[in-house]
Amino acid sequence: MKIDILARGAFTSALVHLQPGERFQSESSAMFRASSNIDIDVTTRPKGGAGGVLGGLKRLIAGDSFFLSTYTVDNGQAGEVGLSPTLQGEVRHVAVSRAAGWTCAGGSYLGSDAHLSLDLEFQGLKGLFSGERLFFVKVTGEGDLLVNAYGHITEVEVDGELIVDTGHVVAFESQLDYTLSKVAGSWVQSYLAGEGFVLHFKGHGKLLVQSHNPKEFGGLLGRHLPPRRS
Amino acid sequence: MRYTIEQSPSYGYVDVQLDAGDTLVAESGAMAWMEGALDVATSTRGGLLTGLKRKLLSGESFFQNTYTARGPGGRIALAPGPAGDVIAHELNGELLLERGAYLASAPTVEVNSKFQGLKGLFSEGVFVLRCTGHGVLFFASYGDIQPVDVDGEYVVDNGYAVAWEPTLEYRVTRARRIRSFLFSDQLLLRFSGRGRVWIQSRSPRSLANWAHPFRRVERKND
Repeated sequence: MKIDILARGAFTSALVHLQPGERFQSESSAMFRASSNIDIDVTTRPKGGAGGVLGGLKRLIAGDSFFLSTYTVDNGQAGEVGLSPTLQGEVRHVAVSRAAGWTCAGGSYLGSDAHLSLDLEFQGLKGLFSGERLFFVKVTGEGDLLVNAYGHITEVEVDGELIVDTGHVVAFESQLDYTLSKVAGSWVQSYLAGEGFVLHFKGHGKLLVQSHNPKEFGGLLGRHLPPRRS
Repeated sequence: MRYTIEQSPSYGYVDVQLDAGDTLVAESGAMAWMEGALDVATSTRGGLLTGLKRKLLSGESFFQNTYTARGPGGRIALAPGPAGDVIAHELNGELLLERGAYLASAPTVEVNSKFQGLKGLFSEGVFVLRCTGHGVLFFASYGDIQPVDVDGEYVVDNGYAVAWEPTLEYRVTRARRIRSFLFSDQLLLRFSGRGRVWIQSRSPRSLANWAHPFRRVERKND
């Protein structure tokens, strides 16, 4: 498996080259081009996670759909799959190892070697009540992971403590501890201030942050669009 | 006439220098800035019917602007609506463009709509733009543009093909194995033959879908 990151300015994408027997999976809408021998299998079942149709529905109810497409070559020849996110910004390759697993913010997962296990982790009720829809994809095993960002990605080496707005977290090494908290003094204050919730990281490990917050951009657009019925 | 593509592939636009008598045709609204003695004529190019077809069927504008340099030193910059790539293609025969991809061309290039057949109902549109003739053709998209030389078959997700050579045929297919009823709508364009297809890396429709949940919810008053 070889992955080319097509970094040509503001719109990065990835081209994954597959050999016979290799399997890659991605967030289901990410594929935009493929060689004709690529077989696409869409499932609601992340390997190792709670799956099946029920699992998929549960995720939709929580406000986040998370479906996977799995790609293989079907004719014994090499093949390729091009993957891109929705927003403009960077795509980055992360090498996941048994020593260092990674956790992605839900919207930042683009794709991964199908040998890697994906587990969905939802934040508690407090998070959901506040209008924050937080879910993480925990990636374990050994292989290639692709993450995407809105804007530019900066790699931060956490050594001690670091506070990051939830909307700017792309992915981090799973050995880092984190707690969801608020910036202002109380939840009500925090809500009124319009200040996002933050993740309070502790420990040692790598963290990828994005320069722009998709929710802020979405909120900006939403105000200018006609209302929807549901 | 000389041109350079600037700021490709993120914020691409085309800078065209016109000598006396040179003419350029552009999508209305594409002109960003211009200098020198240029005559601008707005017309339906090809007649009322062609203009209407272009507008109604292929999503381009009814009117096109023709810029002609009266003297030396004419210059015009043309920019597409979305941030992304611009491709300069020296047309020699025919090229097919997806809706909205046309930016500008030499006056010797004819732009018409072409019926795609019923397969168009399932993809981006029943009509695409058919560009014929000889001369430079500029097209653009949201996202960067990746050329792929097809020899056999190649698959492009619906909404991501910007342009393709007429030696390529395509048919609309679904992802082969779909396990979930929720995913009955993943359509793919399967190109076959020998020729080049230009693929964009981002989709305006996908962006619109992404923005949809951010719309305010209308409350019922009854």
